[in-house]
Amino acid sequence: MDVYVMGVAIHPAADAIGDLRLEEMAYRTARAALDNAGVERREIDHLTLAASDEIDARGISSMLLAAPSGGYLKDEMRVTDSGLAGLHLGAMRAAAGHLQLGLVVSSNQSSVVPLEDIARMRGEPFFLRPVGLNFAIADGLFAGAVATRYAISAATAAERVLERMRSAARNSRAVARTLPRLDDIAGSPCLAYPLRAGHRAPVTDGAVAMVLASGEWLRAHPQHRPLARIAGMAWGVDRYQLDAERLAGLDIFQRGLDDALSRAGLESVDELEVVELEAQNAWADVAFSQALGASARVSVSPSGGAWAQNPFFCTGLLNAAEAALQVAGQAGGHQVDGARRALAHGVSGFAQQTHGFVVMEGIAA
Amino acid sequence: MSKSPATPEPRTFPGEWHVRYNYPVGDVGAHFFDALKEKRIVATRCSASDMTYLPPRAYCERSFEKCDGYVDAGMEGTIEAATIVSAAFDNLPTPPYAIAYVRLDGVSTAMVNFVRGMDLSDVPAAAAKLQPGTRVRVEFIDAPQGRITDFHYVLAAA
Amino acid sequence: MKAHNVAVIGVGQTEFRSRSDNQTYAELAQEAVALALVDANLQPEEIDAVVFSMAPTTFMGVADADKWAADYIWARGKPFMRVHTGGATGGSALQAAHAHVASGQYGTVLVVGADRITETPDAQFVLNLIWDAFYEQDFALNTVTMTALATQRYMHKYGTTERQYANVVVRARRNALNNPSAHLKGAIDIDAVLASPRISWPYKLFDICPRSAGAAAVVITSETLARERCTRPAFITGTAGVSNTIFMGDRMGPHADTDFADFAELRQAARECFRQAGITDPLRELQTVEIYDPFSSFQFPQLESLGFCKPGTAQQLSDEGAFDMDGAIAVNPSGGTLCTNPIGVTGLVRAAEAARQVMGRSAAMQVKNVHNALATAIGGSTQFFTVTMLSDEPRRAPAA
Repeated sequence: MDVYVMGVAIHPAADAIGDLRLEEMAYRTARAALDNAGVERREIDHLTLAASDEIDARGISSMLLAAPSGGYLKDEMRVTDSGLAGLHLGAMRAAAGHLQLGLVVSSNQSSVVPLEDIARMRGEPFFLRPVGLNFAIADGLFAGAVATRYAISAATAAERVLERMRSAARNSRAVARTLPRLDDIAGSPCLAYPLRAGHRAPVTDGAVAMVLASGEWLRAHPQHRPLARIAGMAWGVDRYQLDAERLAGLDIFQRGLDDALSRAGLESVDELEVVELEAQNAWADVAFSQALGASARVSVSPSGGAWAQNPFFCTGLLNAAEAALQVAGQAGGHQVDGARRALAHGVSGFAQQTHGFVVMEGIAA
Repeated sequence: MSKSPATPEPRTFPGEWHVRYNYPVGDVGAHFFDALKEKRIVATRCSASDMTYLPPRAYCERSFEKCDGYVDAGMEGTIEAATIVSAAFDNLPTPPYAIAYVRLDGVSTAMVNFVRGMDLSDVPAAAAKLQPGTRVRVEFIDAPQGRITDFHYVLAAA
Repeated sequence: MKAHNVAVIGVGQTEFRSRSDNQTYAELAQEAVALALVDANLQPEEIDAVVFSMAPTTFMGVADADKWAADYIWARGKPFMRVHTGGATGGSALQAAHAHVASGQYGTVLVVGADRITETPDAQFVLNLIWDAFYEQDFALNTVTMTALATQRYMHKYGTTERQYANVVVRARRNALNNPSAHLKGAIDIDAVLASPRISWPYKLFDICPRSAGAAAVVITSETLARERCTRPAFITGTAGVSNTIFMGDRMGPHADTDFADFAELRQAARECFRQAGITDPLRELQTVEIYDPFSSFQFPQLESLGFCKPGTAQQLSDEGAFDMDGAIAVNPSGGTLCTNPIGVTGLVRAAEAARQVMGRSAAMQVKNVHNALATAIGGSTQFFTVTMLSDEPRRAPAA
């Protein structure tokens, strides 16, 4: 793909950002991405937002977010699926021929909303909502299904939590946390068997923005150095209806992974140095890691994944930012030496109805 | 598509959303609403673009810089647009009532609020009194609460 | 970078009514997709990706309803995303789908959406919620009062009368008699419009669109496949959008970059769209437009800002019949949004109708010899604007 990441910005993360309104978070992050790319707002010709009305607690969230995110009198549109979906659309727009330099912006301040109640409203009203489904319950069903299919134990899940948290401790962008003990995790409240509270990555507030350029723009502005090239992307939606196959089959994950690698000209996941997975809980982390099938040479979630920070709606976009920073050699304390190709993964919908992928490739010196 | 003469009642299931929120207003917003309690309307200013904003913004949408100053808005202004609502909308005020976007003196942008103290029984006549360019005054309630409804507009000529 | 040429090869619409009680939302979307696939002469597996067009789900009451509908529209396993720009959603969704194909990422893309505004009786309350919670929600702003404000400003500027707006309604309802899908249609007169109940000055009931339920779908593909599959594809030759700040008060007065009353943002979007499509004289080179008009006052500022006539002159041209079916340019042969407004889909319907005009599939609504047709969509606090050109030949790089 002839699209480049020119700049990246990640808003400081916190369990709850209470002293800024959402639009101010978006402004700061969009502005920081422009500064990181060394371009001004007047140079960009499009903005792709990713925002959910319900999670933002606004009737039409992008009405308030468009201008602060850099969209004043620009060609702006919004996706509602996830921050990563915003990157997918933003990249296609930058490659469509008539748009050259764009922003992708997504923010999450879900600390101010009842996230699980909002999830409940995503249930269709006849068969599902009377029984009640939300993220925790859907993830509990998922945990049970993969526990059975892949013989994943609760002990393995608990150990994965600690592994991610240890990685997060090296990540300067992570929200600082004390490591729990395995007993704490095993003894944490059961939410929807076998999912326990201690298995879930805490949700945090944050925002991510990227500046994308077409190859045409880059060649016309050779003084700008990109962080990464978007080598390939793929995404896919699974059935809304849940059943054992839908939960544990990981079919859409596998297809998306293969498609993204193939579009990036790669034959195997082992040609990557870094993978950043979006796993909202340890069961998903173990299941996706296994499905990834990567050898030990590939670093999986060196950032600590969602245990470092988890700006829920845009965690997938955060992973893409991490992937770009890794291949640019700018990831910081958790930099993987010699990272040239990094895969970012993101999910959305009940029990990961959608999986999305982006392969970032470093620029040769 | 033909319908049978006696169509049965559609089978529907009820649903109701009642979602509560607590919105962080940000420091700039907090500054504005605190000032309302002192019967002051405070706008934000951007020196790069020379714009003064109401509602106040922490950032300037024109220059894309942070706003770097506060300005007290004048207590009089000019109507930019207005309407008189005659219909009773669910969960909205009982009609008739008038709303107007008013650009207060010293401020670049207009801000909406109710226009009170008018006879709205003859709608076209009242509408003629609210044409763009008409001067209005700000009037505060006796005990402002730090909410946007602490003030409203009245016709300056009244 | 050689972008791919993109064309519409099939469209589908359900009948639009107040309610569609014999179907669920997901079934409604499915119906439109089935119609579009038949029109495009394609099987579901030939669709490579899906873009779902849906604005606030608050009216039909299921959040992320697109994810529920995915099972019904043969989307399983396919790339899928939902686009939402308020009332402009259908226009933005089509433009997002265009990027899927123009970029080379995917070949054949389905755009589909459905809406049911009367699922809730609280529609205007819901529409009050789109405003800023701190500064604007208390003032009974909703889409009616919002556009009444802009209209009052426009009338003050150009001397437009309520009768002139009423004439727009008369024309729309008359055109809709030729549209089997339209929600409202009929032979009414100006007096009937003027006598309808006052809502928010200057609007009466008949100046305002209905709340409609229905679904629409459009299939687009690259030029090579379009020429194989379709005798007369409608090429997407221009795609542009522009967004403004939510704060309408920024768009009034001497410091405004764009005047709220004139929909001046469209000047920027039209310039870009016409540039892509190689259009220099829209009134001469276009034969019809499907413009987004949920209120009778929306046509004049749009036609002016799009460049069909000078500011303040549209009302006179309208009175003279320039926008009638046999006029200088046929405006909204379908009856437009004034006759049908299923919010999340309306922008897509505008594009679908414009595409059908180019494809020669508009039946009783058909304008003669359509080479170029324009579709617009508007959303938010008249904040989001899309302008899309449909043409009988591509304007860009050769077939991919």
